[in-house]
Amino acid sequence: MRREAPPPNRVVTALMLAAAMAWLALPSVSVAPNRIVPGTPFHAHEIVGWAGALVGCLPWLAMVALAWRPTPTRYRIVLGFAVLLLAALPAWLAGVAALRMDPSMPQARLGIGAAVWLLLFLLGLVLIELRGRLALPRIAVWLLLAPVVLAWWLASSHGLEALALVQEYRGRSDQFAAAVIQHLRLVGGAVGASLVLGAGLALSMRRHAGLERLGFAVLNFLQTIPSLALFGLLLAPLAWLAANVGWLNALGVRGVGWAPAFLALLGYSLLPMVRNTFVALEGVSPQVLESARGMGMSRAQVFLQVRLPLALPVVIEGVRITTVQAIGLTAVAALIGAGGLGTFIFQGLGQAAMDLVLLGALPILAMALVADGLLGALARRLDPRQSPSAGQEATS
Amino acid sequence: MRREPIGAGGAGGASRLAAWRAPLAWLACLLLLAAGMAWLEPLFRWFQPDTRQVIYPHADFLTLLGRHLLVVGVAALLAVVIGVGAAVLVTRPAGRDFLPLVAQAASMGQTFPPVAVLALAVPVLGFGTWPIIVALLLYGLLPIVRNTLAGLQGIDPSVLEAARGMGMGGVQQLLQVELPLAVPVILAGIRTSVTINIATAALGATVGASNLGAPIISGIVNGNTAYVLQGALLIGLLALAVDSAFERLQRRWISSGIG
Repeated sequence: MRREAPPPNRVVTALMLAAAMAWLALPSVSVAPNRIVPGTPFHAHEIVGWAGALVGCLPWLAMVALAWRPTPTRYRIVLGFAVLLLAALPAWLAGVAALRMDPSMPQARLGIGAAVWLLLFLLGLVLIELRGRLALPRIAVWLLLAPVVLAWWLASSHGLEALALVQEYRGRSDQFAAAVIQHLRLVGGAVGASLVLGAGLALSMRRHAGLERLGFAVLNFLQTIPSLALFGLLLAPLAWLAANVGWLNALGVRGVGWAPAFLALLGYSLLPMVRNTFVALEGVSPQVLESARGMGMSRAQVFLQVRLPLALPVVIEGVRITTVQAIGLTAVAALIGAGGLGTFIFQGLGQAAMDLVLLGALPILAMALVADGLLGALARRLDPRQSPSAGQEATS
Repeated sequence: MRREPIGAGGAGGASRLAAWRAPLAWLACLLLLAAGMAWLEPLFRWFQPDTRQVIYPHADFLTLLGRHLLVVGVAALLAVVIGVGAAVLVTRPAGRDFLPLVAQAASMGQTFPPVAVLALAVPVLGFGTWPIIVALLLYGLLPIVRNTLAGLQGIDPSVLEAARGMGMGGVQQLLQVELPLAVPVILAGIRTSVTINIATAALGATVGASNLGAPIISGIVNGNTAYVLQGALLIGLLALAVDSAFERLQRRWISSGIG
């Protein structure tokens, strides 16, 4: 072996060998005659025969072969393969639907099998690995994922109508839209209110050391209380208030519903928000402030033109943490009747209708990832200490 | 691996116990409330006069607490073993290829809401105790992996150089230098993981687990606020007891002079 030959990329090799095994050994789909009956699992070889299943192994093995002596070009080809395969999975499912599903049974449903979930997961990991190897900017990954999302979107109306997830959506598309809006409203309201309150609290904490200790103690305490318990503890006092205070009742405050959800979300959101705002304002270097004052800036000018812009990236980081956390907690709030996407999760769990659970959980996941990506990008963009290119290096 | 705090060794058991005051107080509250909930019946009856049944009847609160602790404990134990193990493996020369992937996946995975992970685990794994333990384990792994990596990578290279200079082998260096130095950060990760899991395990009651979440869910479904309060108080106390115990452990390790 010559020294110039690069060592094999063991990560891609391991992931894609696992993918080939998953493809052969795990069921690709399950077919159920209706919503209630559990589906019959079908492996790849039961659908297209062993010859077809082995042909289906070839792309995974090709990626293993390319990763054996990796060069940047080969990594790009592997990346192309990964994106193509991600986009081809819905086509494979649509093909299975055409082959295996009886058109005379309109109630029949196609469930996504373990193999397909695992392949999606492994391909996602390959994308993460290749992004690091090729030092791709984040935006490139989003662009690469666009055709994948498009492929799944198109398939859901052309060929994958039988997919159980699609059918669950069709049955309640209005409810779904309302739930998404309610979810976003609760998250937005809690994050917005906590930003305003948190900034005020952080500013007064900087004036009074006693308030700082007390404030952080209370907020840390709140953060420790599990969400379900906090929702429960708010239920009784709010029910009492609604019964005894007229104007609160008129506002729509009840023991269950949006009021306890909003209060609990606000409580949970305050800690990361206050902590980040406080640290951000404290973190501005005294020399910078000194020189700003030396330039003849007034106190207000120093705050608005120097301290705030320097602190902003860390504050936005706080908004990011808070938003991601609130998206998840709002799902729990569905239990106390606050609406949102969690409704589908808990309805689905109650009816043992797993595709309804997916209809709630997948958008929540997507929301969390998108919020994380967008706000993270905003924080990096606003950070004056690093240019955009330096930011990518720091995160890769 | 536990070591006596330097300089505080002579103070004896009394002061050591005093240091554990906060967690012990929370624990005492928790156990007293769990054991004596029935005696509070008049209080709940006053609070909710129109309801026939005001104490959650389906299981003893101590049993519910035990089941809650069992699920969280088993998941946490497995998560620590697997999480620390994985982080150690990918920081050794043999596993270093996997380091970027594991680090990225662990930090990305934490954006996933725990409820969504629990909800997605059910279709794959089914209902029952084991699926919940697996879901808690999967999610609980992430902060532990992430913090163990941060702890191991944050060690000053000159310290490792010195350890090698003293003739330490790889395993010796890991056990006697790297892991002890990383413990405070690892403990912080375990604390995050356990706190989240206590909350997520309570949600397991919606998929049929019988734990401290069950009175809350049952109370919400039947409109019985007394049940909800009983479950919520106990879960809150449990979370506070466990959290303050971890805080104590972290402080103790740092003050022991090797952190």
